[in-house]
Amino acid sequence: MTADLHRQRLLNFLDVYYAGDIEGALARCTDDVEFVANAPVDLLPHMGHRRGTEAMREMWTTVHARYSEMRCEVPILVAEGDRVAANIRVFFRKRSNQRMVQFDIAAFYTFRDGRIAQIREIIDTFDMVEQVLERDVSAILRNDKPE
Amino acid sequence: MTEHSLWRFSRALHRAINERQPADLEALLDEDVDWAIYGPIDMFPFFGSRRGKAAVIEVVRQIAENIRVHRFDRESIMLGVDSAASMMRYSLTALDSNKPISLRIAHFAQFKAGQLTNLRVLVDTFDLVEQAVGYPIHLPRMAV
Repeated sequence: MTADLHRQRLLNFLDVYYAGDIEGALARCTDDVEFVANAPVDLLPHMGHRRGTEAMREMWTTVHARYSEMRCEVPILVAEGDRVAANIRVFFRKRSNQRMVQFDIAAFYTFRDGRIAQIREIIDTFDMVEQVLERDVSAILRNDKPE
Repeated sequence: MTEHSLWRFSRALHRAINERQPADLEALLDEDVDWAIYGPIDMFPFFGSRRGKAAVIEVVRQIAENIRVHRFDRESIMLGVDSAASMMRYSLTALDSNKPISLRIAHFAQFKAGQLTNLRVLVDTFDLVEQAVGYPIHLPRMAV
């Protein structure tokens, strides 16, 4: 029963977040919400580890500023107790050149008192970096091996 | 209480990889299983999508030829009625180079009548590629 409630809470959170309502998304998180995403933070400095409302607001504002359109699909959702895992397919349109970026995220949420207290994400980062930076990293590796 | 399908699948998968014994795994795959490991298929040909039992057994054979699993720790796990999701840390060896590789993986599995019908695996692939090539990839930093 609790799992079903959290499943719906997560879907509501994603609706609000991808509609661009950052304050609405923050209202669905605890004040000490923790976010951890595996990502090369030297390339994507807004990602990595964040804790607390202000840090999340800063990160999400950075992300929303880069994309004119954001939407997602959730093909798989697994809920147990106060935790929900979602396979999220995201579609972002870049403001800079209108190109679409699409990749999948494995996002694991923990709820406390009906709000999201922890978000942990695993992303196919190689694909994400190639799309976000618009670089063929495989080609760079073929041509740029160190001595 | 019946054992969740995930545990049988997990044991069978690791046996198929480390001991190259796919029979247990084969019995747990739906004939039309939908399988995908997201990542650069030009660097890791055993990544990508596969459909059907025979294709999955073949790709697991390819994985077994390329890696050995030394250890895995489940950092988070959720079990649904016919589904499961886990976040795990794996310690592997790349068999061609004998390099140790440590990586974080998430998977989503769906079952029907105890057989796997759908598997989605996400890997921190940028980290994996850096470990596989053995040096950091230098790219321009994105502006904050």
